[in-house]
Amino acid sequence: MGYLLKTNWWKWLCMALLTYTIIGGLLLPVPKLPILNETIRVLHFHVPMWFGMILVFTGSVIYAIKYLKTNNSKFDIYSSQLANMGIAFGVLGIVTGMVWAKYTWGEPWSNDPKQNASAVSLLIYLAYFVLRNSIKDEEQRNRISGVYNIFAYFLMIPLLFILPRMADSLHPGNGGNPGFNAYDLDSNLRKVFYTAVLGWSLLGYWIASINIRLSLTHQKLENAS
Amino acid sequence: MIELIKKDLVVDWRQQNPISGILLYLASTIFTSYMAFRGFVSIEVWNALFWIIILFTAITAISKSFAQEERRSIYYFFLIKPHNLIISKLIYSFLYLIALAILSLVIFTVLFGNPIVNHQLFIFNLLIGCLGLSSAFTMISAIAFKASNRSIMMAVLGFPVIIPVLILTISNSAKILDQNIWSQIQGNMLTLISVDVIIIALTFILFPFIWRS
Repeated sequence: MGYLLKTNWWKWLCMALLTYTIIGGLLLPVPKLPILNETIRVLHFHVPMWFGMILVFTGSVIYAIKYLKTNNSKFDIYSSQLANMGIAFGVLGIVTGMVWAKYTWGEPWSNDPKQNASAVSLLIYLAYFVLRNSIKDEEQRNRISGVYNIFAYFLMIPLLFILPRMADSLHPGNGGNPGFNAYDLDSNLRKVFYTAVLGWSLLGYWIASINIRLSLTHQKLENAS
Repeated sequence: MIELIKKDLVVDWRQQNPISGILLYLASTIFTSYMAFRGFVSIEVWNALFWIIILFTAITAISKSFAQEERRSIYYFFLIKPHNLIISKLIYSFLYLIALAILSLVIFTVLFGNPIVNHQLFIFNLLIGCLGLSSAFTMISAIAFKASNRSIMMAVLGFPVIIPVLILTISNSAKILDQNIWSQIQGNMLTLISVDVIIIALTFILFPFIWRS
């Protein structure tokens, strides 16, 4: 983390990857699958959001654990800012998913288990910020929100990964709808997809790192004054 | 530990106010929904209604679990290990919720009739579900205890977290009421038990950190 905050080669990498993703994602040929057709291109803009969200939330939980171990308020800033970024990813993921669903399923929200689960996981993290705001004492706030962060994260995992698989879902990859296995056949799509995952995750990390530095500076100023 | 559980029982028995309050809460919610749903209670509606009422009763009943300890908390802090405290709280709130659930089952049977075929399986599912609900809400109530507006925080923090348990128990009990075949709910039941285990383990590990602050 400290090293990545100082260097910036990964920022150039991120920009290059995203440029490739946007150009390649919109222009490269895609396989003709039933129902999906050209909407398959949303793969590069929707799915990476969830990868990014899980990645960022995982980072947030790791820093929450670190905070509880060391009581260093720097880790609490890392943790909360990463969670903030995760919410942004989640909202983008839901919105892109809804746009896509409007064209393929006919309506933006069709009570699909995956949609519901992702909405609930957003609620969990919004509640995290409500909790943070409702505790005045700073150390107590950091500690308790850290505890809630860990508690909620481990309950979000079954929600996102296990439950939707038990019910029938319209989502690609479930119930006979073409999903990842169909994409695997197409190496063109795959190339752009992996770049997209890496690119969007790096972008999320970039935004989070700016926020982290801003909060750290705020904290320093407060301590100085 | 057993003394702590006993203490909770005695406190509740002595100040009867919260207990009679929650009993009345249970009875009046069930009666209100009886008035509202009269005439079209199919098995699915019965099931959903039953669990929704259990959910709201649980959140109201268990939110007091730490709130009532406000004056005693310093005393506990020096006297008892946090692990013992949380275990006794978990056991007590589980027993409390089970008692309320059985009672609401009785009231339901009187008002709405009893569609349960396989009682053992239904009660088993009820126990596992109540275990998840009570332990998650105990943890949430410990968290919300430190926040400023407790009752709202309890709902805001509690509902999203409890959804995995709730979905699994409701779908299990719908299947039990519908066909009551063990093999159909086996997978769900295992997931539910493992979610319960996750909740209890996390509560056990994380509680000392809340308690210390």
